[in-house]
Amino acid sequence: MKKSARALAALLVSGLALTACSSGGSGSGGSGSDAAAPAASALDQASGVTTVEFWHSMTGKNAEALTALVDAFNAAHRGKIEVKPVFQGSYDDLVAKYKASVQQKATPALVQVYDIGTRFMIDSGQTVPAQAFADRDGYPLDDLQPNIRNYYSVGGRLASMPFNSSVPLLYLNTDAFAEAGLDPAKPPATLAELGDLARKLTKKDGSGQTVRYGFGAAVYGWFVEELLAESGSLYCDADNGRTGKASKVAFDSAKGAEIVQWWADLVKGGYAANTGWQTTDAQAAFKAGTVAMHLESTGVLRGYTEAAKFTVGTAPFPRTAAGDQGGPVIGGASLWISGPGHSAAQQRAAWELEKFLTAPDQQAAWHTGTGYFPVNTKALDVAADQQWVAKYPQFKTAIDQMAATKPTPATAGCLLGVMPQARKGVETAVEQTVSGAKSAQQALADAAKELQPAIDAYNSAVG
Amino acid sequence: MPTAPPPAARPRRLGEHGLAWAFLLPSVVVLVLFVAYPLGRTLYLSAHANDLFGAPSRYVGWKHYADLLASAEFRDTLLTTALFVLFTVVPGVLGALALVLLLENRIRGVRLLRSAFALPFAFSVASASVVFSVFYNPASGVLNGLLSRLHLGPVGWLTDSRYALLSVAAATVWMNLGYNVLVLSAGIGSIPDEITEAARLDGASGLRLARSVTVPLLGPSLFFLVVVSTVNALQSFGQIHVLTRGGPDGATRTLVYSVYQKAFAYGSSDFGTASAQAVVLLVVVLACTALQFGVLERKVHYA
Amino acid sequence: MTATLTGPTAPAPARPARRRRPRPRTLLGRSLVHLLLLGAALTVLFPVYYVFAGAFMRPDEIASYPPALVPHSLTGRNFSGAVHAVPLARQYANSVLVAGAVTAAQLLTSVLAAYAFVFLPVRARRVVFGAFLATLMVPWEAVVVPNYLTLSGWGLGNTYFGLVLPFLASAFGTFLLRQSFRQFPAELRDAARIDGAGHWRFLWRILVPLSRPTLAALAVYVFLSAWNQYFWPLIITRTAEMQTLQIGLSTLRDSEMADPGLILAGVVLSLLPTLALVLFGQRFLVRGLTTGAVR
Repeated sequence: MKKSARALAALLVSGLALTACSSGGSGSGGSGSDAAAPAASALDQASGVTTVEFWHSMTGKNAEALTALVDAFNAAHRGKIEVKPVFQGSYDDLVAKYKASVQQKATPALVQVYDIGTRFMIDSGQTVPAQAFADRDGYPLDDLQPNIRNYYSVGGRLASMPFNSSVPLLYLNTDAFAEAGLDPAKPPATLAELGDLARKLTKKDGSGQTVRYGFGAAVYGWFVEELLAESGSLYCDADNGRTGKASKVAFDSAKGAEIVQWWADLVKGGYAANTGWQTTDAQAAFKAGTVAMHLESTGVLRGYTEAAKFTVGTAPFPRTAAGDQGGPVIGGASLWISGPGHSAAQQRAAWELEKFLTAPDQQAAWHTGTGYFPVNTKALDVAADQQWVAKYPQFKTAIDQMAATKPTPATAGCLLGVMPQARKGVETAVEQTVSGAKSAQQALADAAKELQPAIDAYNSAVG
Repeated sequence: MPTAPPPAARPRRLGEHGLAWAFLLPSVVVLVLFVAYPLGRTLYLSAHANDLFGAPSRYVGWKHYADLLASAEFRDTLLTTALFVLFTVVPGVLGALALVLLLENRIRGVRLLRSAFALPFAFSVASASVVFSVFYNPASGVLNGLLSRLHLGPVGWLTDSRYALLSVAAATVWMNLGYNVLVLSAGIGSIPDEITEAARLDGASGLRLARSVTVPLLGPSLFFLVVVSTVNALQSFGQIHVLTRGGPDGATRTLVYSVYQKAFAYGSSDFGTASAQAVVLLVVVLACTALQFGVLERKVHYA
Repeated sequence: MTATLTGPTAPAPARPARRRRPRPRTLLGRSLVHLLLLGAALTVLFPVYYVFAGAFMRPDEIASYPPALVPHSLTGRNFSGAVHAVPLARQYANSVLVAGAVTAAQLLTSVLAAYAFVFLPVRARRVVFGAFLATLMVPWEAVVVPNYLTLSGWGLGNTYFGLVLPFLASAFGTFLLRQSFRQFPAELRDAARIDGAGHWRFLWRILVPLSRPTLAALAVYVFLSAWNQYFWPLIITRTAEMQTLQIGLSTLRDSEMADPGLILAGVVLSLLPTLALVLFGQRFLVRGLTTGAVR
């Protein structure tokens, strides 16, 4: 397979002339916004079947839903385009494999990369921005959910096509609320309120053993990113890497310290369960009823309603304080079209698939099949989607929350080449604060300091 | 397929040289490709910076090593590695020794017990780690469940940075126990009965017999166990990956795990730093082995 | 290298039919020994017990807090659940295939190399053999990065070849068999030569059959090592279909649908072959294990 891909790439070198993108894999592609997309005629003029190798990281029911969509696309383009989805392991695995493929000049035509790999993909110089195709075709991108579009845009230009997006929510055990004499219809809106309620919802038995914690979430850096965005704060400089290349992180601010300290204090006070880094452990604690309030993405909603023996409630992701003007950042992954080494016809075929996958009907099928947030706002008007939302009314919270969020640099989220390591650094800072080894301020400052060489090395490698 | 060499003396010598190389070739190819060459490449990578895609980009000399020396994180890693060795080797070997000595007593059910103590050997690192993840689980952990019945706890076995390394070490001791018991049992089985009988006739029994006769005669087995356990501890990976991923707050990040993180986790592809750490690992393993052979082995009495 | 340590090369420990053991003299001593052994047995065996108990528990027994210690009613649903969550059957087959291939190949390459060192004229024998032994000192983790780069560079990531190639030969097996071959009686070798047996026939018809105990011990050792591998299969495979059982178990633990009962059911399934070995082949196993004792 690899050999044929390489042979194919060699055969198609002539097609390279059409792409202005720099090849050679040295990674000097800049923002890539100057790369041009081939014209629609390239696909019409191609003889035979144009194949598109599509690397993704979907497993389980997500993989089934994706395969169904790709099959439908292939059926509609029989004899012309054939998309071959190839599962490449976790998001991290996929990026590692992708890096190797760049070195071997055998990249896939289309690749799904997680949100925090966005800056790397731009810098790789291997891709053609979605905006270039949209501009060339006059294809409107206005139906894309504005905040999702915002995340994947640099300088106002869409770098990749969002596909699977998650939105964070505050999950509530409404039975626990009722038992504590609280109204789940009045969920906490700020961290202070959440802390107060966590104290009230924490339950001990006769011997002083805690049988239920008021709050609990995985030590997952994403949640800190969300809270910073809610407060309207930046996570890294250069407007979260939107107006230029970020050169240092900004999470070590007073706001960042306030958030981490709040979390650590709840744990240390015995009002929040510390279930560690493993998200499935935090999910298990919520499902088992040992945690009353909980942070997670929309993706787990259906699993919760099916597994939990109590009524699952949802509330907007909390703000850090009443006056906060920000909102949540979306998570998930987007689709990238490869330029260098791929024929104009392949690039066009990949773009056709992107348009197909993000059209209202397909996004409705995707949303209802997986629980991801639809990237196309029109998907929510599709009848099947509306039925699904009626069945899982808790999802409405996410829809409203996204609609209410204004796209700003803060809510766009930070683009940083070493974002996965930055997230890990914040997780370590949370652990240090929880254990009492450091104050939140100190822990975040240290995390930022330790990250700096990696940022510098990355930026100097990009050049 | 080579046939039987011809009987004539001269060409036979020649043929034998050829045959020798033909026989050695498969092993040589594999060892060169997957041990010798990569060792050289590790050194090469450790002296180079990486481009965006993990390929070596420019020569940086000793920079990665100098960075490691200056890094507090790496000093923590080395300390954690040393502690992990200490927490697994000492209780692992002493525990197995105690069990094997207790089993030397003539009481009912000894054979059954010996088999029982060997049972953990059936668990691979992965399966034992997965089982302990169920025990230590912060949400519905069996251990905290037991403690809560006694109105104690809960303990953050893996989530509290004070206990995480000890918890991982305890799981490691358990999973190695079966092997250690099997090795020491075999060792004790090969001690000639006459020696123990003679000692007993001299009035030695119980602890004294163990201290002055059995343990010294177990020397070779014990020495072997210490060396093997140390190298195993230095190379431990699976239990850390399954249980803690090196956390919390780096409390369980050993040298091997650090190599993994730099090279393969968080999309970092920092093969330069990872390779420098791999070289440190190589030196540490060699030094430990040399030290043990130099110091410990002298005290071993080979019967 | 301490060839003096116990190993299959050394004569197997002669076990008297009935070993005499000391018997604690006082009642106090006897009860103390009993107590200590009982306590140790409970501690060591509890995890084993709970793996089997938990594998048969319903989710509401094991996933609630505190989890039950004894299953109230046995359910087999965890087993079907585990097999459904992760392709354990396929991964089982992968593990058998990989460990089997590695064992067969290592035995073959080691037999050939050891034969060359003992019975054939190798130029600079000491240097070559020394180089073989030197590779034993290199911990696998120190070369894992370049090996990963090499094999993924060859496009062998996520393939069976990628899983087995680096382990097709080992200096350890060569060393062990060399020790064993050297002790082969010279008279037998000469007799075979007089009968007109060349190297090839001598090797396969006489030497290998007579070295069966050592080969079997080496086979057990190599198979178990390959079966238990974790680091290499973790990084070289990506899809569940190509992963080995050990990796499958840990993904089962990380999967969202897995409650503890499901995880433990997966562990039970994975344990069956090695458990059988420990329970029914212990003497055989000891030989295989102490094989490592010459390292």
